[in-house]
Amino acid sequence: MDGFPILSALTYVPLVGAAIIFFWPRASARAARWIALGASLVSLALSLVMLAGFDRDASGMQFVEHYDWLPALGVSYHFGVDGISVLLLVLTTLLTTLAIVASWDPVQHRVREYMISMLLLETGMLGVFVSLDLFLFYIFWEVMLIPMALLIGVWGSANRIYAAVKFFLYTLAGSLLMLVGIIALYQAYFEQTGIRTLNVLELQQGNYGHSFQMWVFAAFFIAFAIKMPMWPFHTWLPDAHVEAPTAGSVLLAGVLLKMGGYGLLRFNLPLFPDAARSWAPAIMALSVIGIIYGALVALVQTDLKKLVAYSSVSHMGFVTLGIFAFNAQGLYGAMIVMLSHGLVTSALFLCVGIIYERGHTRLISRFGGLATNMPIYASFLGLFSLASLGLPGLSGFVGEFLSILGAFRAERVAGVIAFAVVILSAWYMLWMYQRVAWQRAPSEPPDPTDPEAKQAGAPHPVMGGAEADAVDPRTFRDVTWRELVTLAPLAVLTLWMGWAPQWFMDVLRPALELVASPFGRIGF
Amino acid sequence: MPVELVRPEWGLIVPELILLGTIALVLAGDLALPRRQHGVLTWVALAGLALSLLSNLTIDWAAGRSTFNGMFQADYFSLFINLVVGVAGILSVMIASAYVPGGDEPGDMPLPEYLALLLLSILGTMLVGAAGDLLMIFLGIEMGSIAVYALTGFARRRVTALEGALKYFLLGAFATAILIYGMAWTYGATGTTALADIAVRLRPVVTGSGGVEPSLLLALLLLAVGLGFKIAAVPFHMWTPDAYQGAPTPVSAYMSVVPKVAGFAAMARVLVEALGPLSDSWLTLIAVLALVTMVYGNVVAIAQRDVKRMLGYSSIGHTGYILVGLAAFSGLSPDDRSVGSMLFYLLSYAFMNIGAFGVVTWLQTRGLGVTLDDFRGLATRSPLAAIAMTIFMLSLMGMPPLVGFYAKYYVILAAVQADLIWLAVAVVLMSAVSAFFYLRVVAVMYFNEPSGEWKVQPTPLLGTGLALMALGTLMLGLLSGPVLDLAQKWVQAFGVA
Repeated sequence: MDGFPILSALTYVPLVGAAIIFFWPRASARAARWIALGASLVSLALSLVMLAGFDRDASGMQFVEHYDWLPALGVSYHFGVDGISVLLLVLTTLLTTLAIVASWDPVQHRVREYMISMLLLETGMLGVFVSLDLFLFYIFWEVMLIPMALLIGVWGSANRIYAAVKFFLYTLAGSLLMLVGIIALYQAYFEQTGIRTLNVLELQQGNYGHSFQMWVFAAFFIAFAIKMPMWPFHTWLPDAHVEAPTAGSVLLAGVLLKMGGYGLLRFNLPLFPDAARSWAPAIMALSVIGIIYGALVALVQTDLKKLVAYSSVSHMGFVTLGIFAFNAQGLYGAMIVMLSHGLVTSALFLCVGIIYERGHTRLISRFGGLATNMPIYASFLGLFSLASLGLPGLSGFVGEFLSILGAFRAERVAGVIAFAVVILSAWYMLWMYQRVAWQRAPSEPPDPTDPEAKQAGAPHPVMGGAEADAVDPRTFRDVTWRELVTLAPLAVLTLWMGWAPQWFMDVLRPALELVASPFGRIGF
Repeated sequence: MPVELVRPEWGLIVPELILLGTIALVLAGDLALPRRQHGVLTWVALAGLALSLLSNLTIDWAAGRSTFNGMFQADYFSLFINLVVGVAGILSVMIASAYVPGGDEPGDMPLPEYLALLLLSILGTMLVGAAGDLLMIFLGIEMGSIAVYALTGFARRRVTALEGALKYFLLGAFATAILIYGMAWTYGATGTTALADIAVRLRPVVTGSGGVEPSLLLALLLLAVGLGFKIAAVPFHMWTPDAYQGAPTPVSAYMSVVPKVAGFAAMARVLVEALGPLSDSWLTLIAVLALVTMVYGNVVAIAQRDVKRMLGYSSIGHTGYILVGLAAFSGLSPDDRSVGSMLFYLLSYAFMNIGAFGVVTWLQTRGLGVTLDDFRGLATRSPLAAIAMTIFMLSLMGMPPLVGFYAKYYVILAAVQADLIWLAVAVVLMSAVSAFFYLRVVAVMYFNEPSGEWKVQPTPLLGTGLALMALGTLMLGLLSGPVLDLAQKWVQAFGVA
């Protein structure tokens, strides 16, 4: 593999796929789907090849590609992966492929543009995880926004335009602050050493004053906290999730939310260790609030997608809680929560999508008794619900357990509170599962004057669909082969991560040790 | 002062001479050719502009020579200005091609005169860029402005056009008077109008203990106000929205860029080259102007539903961003990024802004209007036009990897280098505000269904122009290394000397 730019290849294959669809004006919807699937599969295959060639014992970056780009400004084209990014990279290529399969039949409207957006989004997401130059990172970070906003705004449901614009403006505001942070950092390093560079690895060598660190840390942190999203920066998330098409929700939850945690691990901790220590108590407090808040709000949701969305806010609290514990358990926990959340929450959104296709509603009260006529579906939904609430033996448990353990070591109170509220996630998840799968299906039509029911049950404005009350959940068919293909890999991985987390921790170890080194490598 | 008669070096003004010849040719064609063959003059103008642009290669810019008794300088600054206005000129002629002959009222807009005025204004701007003397700057600005006043009122039977043209003319004439008054005070204080000599005579004044003379400060203020009108800086911007809205759309495209280039070129020549030693006195003024201008332009643009007016206010916002570059001036040295970032911004601005107006023109040639509603559902009607508009809007907003992002990045970099963190933060915040109104155009194109009648019409030259601009907006940023080096060369020459 020496010399073959595998990271560039896997990042740009989707872009090439998008270009083929774009410049082939008479490509049919069918052709567009196949091209998109082909491109995402090639990218997935390349990422697996890369994972196979990844040296798990080496610390530092691997598969590095480094060329000058704008030398006068110290900007270079610099790609590389370590244990943190390599797993997120494979998660991205896998989820994109599944998302394309999941939108095979449901998306019938402007299919070419849809597939182009999906592929551009994939290139953007992959680029974020492999860029080691801040300028390059920022470009990919922003590039991602447009296709995601389009996915929500064009193929979303009733209130989609509001959600798309809110998503865009929220994340843009955050990342623009980060841009000022990037430039300030560049200038500070230049004044210190006389070297113009935006290379992250090089910038880590600088010594920055405490107040400077505090400010620039905040500039980066807000961008990542919005993306993550951390309470109180989370308000865009429920809107975006509820309005996005299924595949959009999958990628939003599965990959985009991971970029916040990734950014903290890659930039905030190594670049500003002193500021990280000073900010840690505040951030841990916000994390705990987020965990409780997300769970409580999830409890009262009537809309399935909103429930999953708020559960994400709660889960992301465990990520920041773990990261800012600065010890081995916390960091492993944060990474495993991210990976597990990527698998489980994506799978839950796919599950919601499957019954939305059949019932054209997301209202929990409109479903019931699915375990009788959709046994396979109900088993999958059960598995992922249990994984999400953190049942031992499934992926969710490992991450949350480690993260709480880390927090307990660092800040006893935070650990105790976080541990006490885990029960809430069991409550909302199991209650949701009970109502959807076991409870008797509703016989009376919903009250048409209820505004919430109206919104969650509205027929899709562009794709059409029957009125919610016209479809009886007792007539739903079980999952098709295509839907099975999207759920099965995620189920396997969830089980694997639950039973054998050691494999993942081995991959992560060298990179996380490096992250923890300014904090004394506690626990490694 | 004895005046020596020196043989001028004609070789240094070849680009200007070619343009002058083209103007003569276009006017002769107006007389000689029958009306229906006037379309050929578009090609004459394009060829002239291209030739003038190419002829820049024949000149040795590194030598930085001057001629006509120091009136005219051929240095890297003039080269870059020639480059910007040459490109902007070609793009403006391309988008005018479909609109002007069959425009608002058929027969009302004679193409040859349109082209001649356009070229004349380009020539004026090139002279400002190459000016070595205050008088030359004045002449160039007047030559450029008067042609644009006429162009603004080109749709002479439409009231809004006349209103815009009249406002532009009256305020512009007023500004010119202030400008020349400032030049007179400068002459009074320094005894010369040659830019380089002014700088030489100012240096001892500044380093001396007596402080800066009040007459110099008055001159500075008058010059800043006069040039502020030309670049539409707040509070001297009143004419802009009306003029942009009233003018035929291709003219709005043109005047949003080239007269602004003239204004900024004059600012760089006057403030940096001549009054550079006084920079302590004008830097704060420019920084405050930059802040006020970008805040006002971006905030007011939010309320606009007429896309041309919206672009008018947005161009005020961009004036603010470019001024940030100038405000970061720290003395003529190779490390100074102020002028370089400003020049790069002007070039990228030419691509994205003429492009945005070009799409408006494109809609108008198809029988639609210029409000947001006319953009509804453009993505279903014409995916390519919608993608082009999306690229221009996102670039104006400053989204990577489009050129607008790089332009803003360089300006912010210059500001941070000059310790103007507050200005850098302001640029960033205003970019977020601007996202609101730029995105609205994108949103109605993609998220709404089309409404209104639509007639299909072939406009090959306009389409090619739009494609070129979209491509330029997409690629210029990624390949900005060499362009930025070129923009940086002028100040580097000072470091050596």
